[in-house]
Amino acid sequence: MEPSNIEEAQQNEDAMTSTDSTQNDLHKMPSVTGFPMPDDAPAPGACIRVERPEAGLAIVIFDPPHRSFPIFDAPLLRDLDIVLSGLEGDTSLKGIVFTGRHPGQFLAGADVEAIQKITDPALVEQAVIAVHALFDRVERLKPRTVAAVGGPVPGGAFEFSLACDRILLVDGKSSRIGLPETMLGILPGWGGTHRLPRRIGIPKALDCILTGRLLPAKPAKKRGLVDRLVHSEDLVRVAIEVAMGRKSCRRASRGIWKWLIDCNPLAKAIIRDQALKGVDSKAHGKYPAPYAALDLVLSAPSASHSTWARREAEAIGSLATGSVCKSLVGIFFASEAAKKLGKRADGSEPNRPVQATVVGAGVMGAGIASSLALAKVSVRLGDLSSEALAGAITNHRKEVDKRRRRKRLQPHDANAAIDHLVGVEGLVGMTQSEIAIEAVAEVLHVKASVFGELAGQLSDDAILATNTSSLSVSAIAKNLPHPERVVGMHFFNPVKAMPLVEVVRGEETNDETVTRTCALAIAMGKTPVVTRDVPGFLVNRILGPYLDEAVRLFVGGADVEHVDALMLNFGMPMGPFVLLDEVGFDIAQHAAASLHAGYGGRMAPCPGLTGMSDDTRLGRKTGKGFYDHPKEGDRKSKRKLAQDLAHFQTESWAGSLPDGEITDRLVYAMVGEAARCLEENVVESESILDLASVFGTGFAPFRGGLWSHAKSVGLGAVCSRMTELHEKEDVQARGAGAERFDPAPVAAQMMD
Amino acid sequence: MDSAPPGNDPIPLMIAPSTSSIVIAAGLRSPWIKAGGQFRGEDAGHLGATVTRELLARTGVPAEELDEVITGAVGPPHDQANLSRVIALRAGIPREVPARTVARNCASGMEAVTQAVTEIRAGNGSLYMCLGVEVMSAYPLIMGRKLTGFFESMMKARSLPARLATIASFRPSMLAPRVALLEGLRDPVTNLLMGQTAEVLVRDFGLTREACDTYATESHHRARISRDRGRFEREILPMAPLSRKPIKDLVRHDDGIRNDQTVEALGRMRPYFEKPDGVVTIGNSCGITDGACALLITTEEKARELGLQPLARIKSYAWAGCDPSRMGLGPVFSSKLALEAAGCSLADMDVIEINEAFAAQVLACKQAFSSDDFAQKHLGQETAMGEIDPAKLNPNGGAVALGHPVGATGARLLLTAAHELAVGDHNLALTTLCIGGGQGGAVVLERIDGSAV
Repeated sequence: MEPSNIEEAQQNEDAMTSTDSTQNDLHKMPSVTGFPMPDDAPAPGACIRVERPEAGLAIVIFDPPHRSFPIFDAPLLRDLDIVLSGLEGDTSLKGIVFTGRHPGQFLAGADVEAIQKITDPALVEQAVIAVHALFDRVERLKPRTVAAVGGPVPGGAFEFSLACDRILLVDGKSSRIGLPETMLGILPGWGGTHRLPRRIGIPKALDCILTGRLLPAKPAKKRGLVDRLVHSEDLVRVAIEVAMGRKSCRRASRGIWKWLIDCNPLAKAIIRDQALKGVDSKAHGKYPAPYAALDLVLSAPSASHSTWARREAEAIGSLATGSVCKSLVGIFFASEAAKKLGKRADGSEPNRPVQATVVGAGVMGAGIASSLALAKVSVRLGDLSSEALAGAITNHRKEVDKRRRRKRLQPHDANAAIDHLVGVEGLVGMTQSEIAIEAVAEVLHVKASVFGELAGQLSDDAILATNTSSLSVSAIAKNLPHPERVVGMHFFNPVKAMPLVEVVRGEETNDETVTRTCALAIAMGKTPVVTRDVPGFLVNRILGPYLDEAVRLFVGGADVEHVDALMLNFGMPMGPFVLLDEVGFDIAQHAAASLHAGYGGRMAPCPGLTGMSDDTRLGRKTGKGFYDHPKEGDRKSKRKLAQDLAHFQTESWAGSLPDGEITDRLVYAMVGEAARCLEENVVESESILDLASVFGTGFAPFRGGLWSHAKSVGLGAVCSRMTELHEKEDVQARGAGAERFDPAPVAAQMMD
Repeated sequence: MDSAPPGNDPIPLMIAPSTSSIVIAAGLRSPWIKAGGQFRGEDAGHLGATVTRELLARTGVPAEELDEVITGAVGPPHDQANLSRVIALRAGIPREVPARTVARNCASGMEAVTQAVTEIRAGNGSLYMCLGVEVMSAYPLIMGRKLTGFFESMMKARSLPARLATIASFRPSMLAPRVALLEGLRDPVTNLLMGQTAEVLVRDFGLTREACDTYATESHHRARISRDRGRFEREILPMAPLSRKPIKDLVRHDDGIRNDQTVEALGRMRPYFEKPDGVVTIGNSCGITDGACALLITTEEKARELGLQPLARIKSYAWAGCDPSRMGLGPVFSSKLALEAAGCSLADMDVIEINEAFAAQVLACKQAFSSDDFAQKHLGQETAMGEIDPAKLNPNGGAVALGHPVGATGARLLLTAAHELAVGDHNLALTTLCIGGGQGGAVVLERIDGSAV
């Protein structure tokens, strides 16, 4: 952004205080906030309609013609300024209703795209303060102001509502309200960190802001985020009654609690302590936003109104221009883009499946079936073992019960979720399924025969999806009558927790099948990533070298806990050895072997892991791996480093490696493979690779994903470091295995 | 209704269905589980929906083609008014398909089927999902009237003195609960428990304790053999019951069958209903049981159209009333009517399923069937209906061994008898049961050529 814009913004802000800003009729006048004005910005005044159906009442409707879902972008803020000027001058008004185009749509908050582009903290501060000024004017309006909202009301849209006297929310399933800003590395800086604690008290406000959760209607009312719930048909009518004082709508008062907690330094100290622990456990000091938000919220009750804007502006200025925010916003956009995979090229959406089949009631099959059932798809889970079926059903019902207890499922929805998972011995009665997902043993002929049997039963347009992680989708599809409807649907363990699904396009898979599979993944609350049918697909392929490199370090004498701590500090959700224990040695070896078979020497696995594993030592599931794990259900004891590890550490070169080199070996082994994936177009773009690395491997989100990290280090620097690693004695000793640190693929990406 | 197939002479719609034969196209039931056992956590809606959904899946019948879901239940849960509708929707049957819950005490499951038959005969529809469902584990304890009254006056008392006065009126005796199960099994007109009506028959027919115990032992014996040779696998859906505890395996067998039942062991039990001289014990009565059974009732044409191999044709049915204090004789009265309607005699029947509410009651029926005296006095005919061959009677055991989930049993008898036609290579079966309050119900089934074995 050019500096002149700031000046203009400044001038305009000056103009804002007078009432004649409506005279400014330039089509592209500079925005009041300093946000960039989009090219398709409508004429001033066109974004907001004001209706006056009766004397003393104004209904302000946010209806920008250039947005299918309105946001607080520059044109809207500009017009809000114009409208407020008109309202401020009108002494005849008794009530004002602010609402959206229709009850299911209000505003989607601030312009995230604009946030990503800004690099100058001063400019951000300027913009924030300008919006504050606008919202303060809303708050100061003499008539009773009512925000009548519905649908998603995140961030800025909620902060605007907080400036109104009353908030009415549609009592419907699509209503979601809250302040998710910390998820994007910023904080609710348009008054949210101050107005929300004043409204609902510090403890609840902290919960709301630090988790960034968007609440459905009933919990939002219960916690006081809104004052009244209304059916969507009645939203505007009731809002008018409330605004005109004909219907009372009390705002819950905090009463004595305000003095006992919000204004009590001792209570606040305790809350701060607790909240800080909570933040630390998730952010590990890597994400500045929650810490900044915590401080602002705690000081909110004692802060004078005049200092809010300045404090929030300063906080946002540094956060929004920081790298963490850029990274998080980048991933946010990539995940939003992934949601479009569920739509056909012409924008239409495939029908949601009502019936599905899952074959194999092992850990993965059971998890997939449970997730489907919770997504309201009726599932028939087939397995030959009735014990496995009983176990899968038990676990599913446990999960449903947990959600029922936590009020995330209403009792009738919980019943439906239980009804939706049926265990079937064998493969009978699957005829009505629209998709079948197999999660049987990773043996080609087993999978092919399951699909062969299903193909005979299912209707002609049913999809056959395989959850294979190590076999080729095209090979499985080979002798089936409709290979174009065979697709890979690779879930990650544990299915209910892992947000990523790799949708693998086999040689003959058609677009419609990919789209329908992606749509189903999205309906399950997962994020799909379309990959090519290469060994290991994307995630396991980049994770393979990382884990193998870790095993090599271990065999070389590196300290297991130290390496884990280093990678945790780097930003991985857990260290590589903890991860190996979680995955299971057998699974890891199987995956490594298939990568080796697919890619040759570069992926040659270190024999160290095989030497370690036996039936009693396969990771957490057997209670022993690199760590000794407490028994299931034992919550008191923690995992401890296994005592006999030295026995397996046959070399000593890695014992004295500097920390930096350990991290680099692990991370750059992944970067090298990622570069190859990009070269081979395993996924379509770098941002998808980033998304998959974050959602699939848990790669540090604040670094923006694997490839963003490499780029922020500088691909040139990465190359030279890889060259150094490539030359290391132990690496060279691997022969073909040294190829892993060959910088050429990364260098090739630099050329593009 | 579909019109007649092209090429044939047009048949008037009002008559067409009634001339076509009505069949049990398919059926499935849950295991019969002793109340308070593995189905302790079940509710009728879930149990019914489970068998219904699976029956639809296995038969591949498109649920939207159903004309109605008819469910028989004696004590539907208070929070599932119109249980049938709850079951239909939970089973994933489209909301356009209506559902009704019907009751005729212990014959409710059979009532569901005969209502479907009536509808088909009347030309109102051609495809019905009929269920009998009972979760006796879930029968509640009810607060007595007194306690309800106490709470009512508490609500009405506004002033402090009024409230204190109400509180003072509290008596511990108000807390005594009413047991829905026991009250449900007592005939309010004669004030007899069902077991006591059996004792009346014992005296009427001079039955002995030993005869009853021998019969009960034989029921367990037959049920065990049938279970062990997999006979019940045709009927039973192995299922994962709702439960607080983790489920180790699917439940696949009726759990009331005792493997080593002996007459001596039964002989040691004390009479339950009339002490000390009664003969009806817990051991020679049916058990309190949970279960659900679903049957697809349709016309033979429709079944073939849907690609189904029907199990049996419903040849006739009849309901009859009798003395409430001798309700156990209901099968005799209803069988007479059903056999007449079918144009058959008792001797024609290859299989006879009489529900074993009590061993004594079955034995009384058996005597009544073969007694000229009884025929003259009560049936208005000169000679008895005939002797019942014990081998034909309940060949797979009965409710004494399997249990009697009251509302579900009627449907289970039909399912068992329908399968028995094919299993035993028989032609005709009589299915009948006694009904609390003094009624009997009977259905005559006929094998269809080519019934699946």
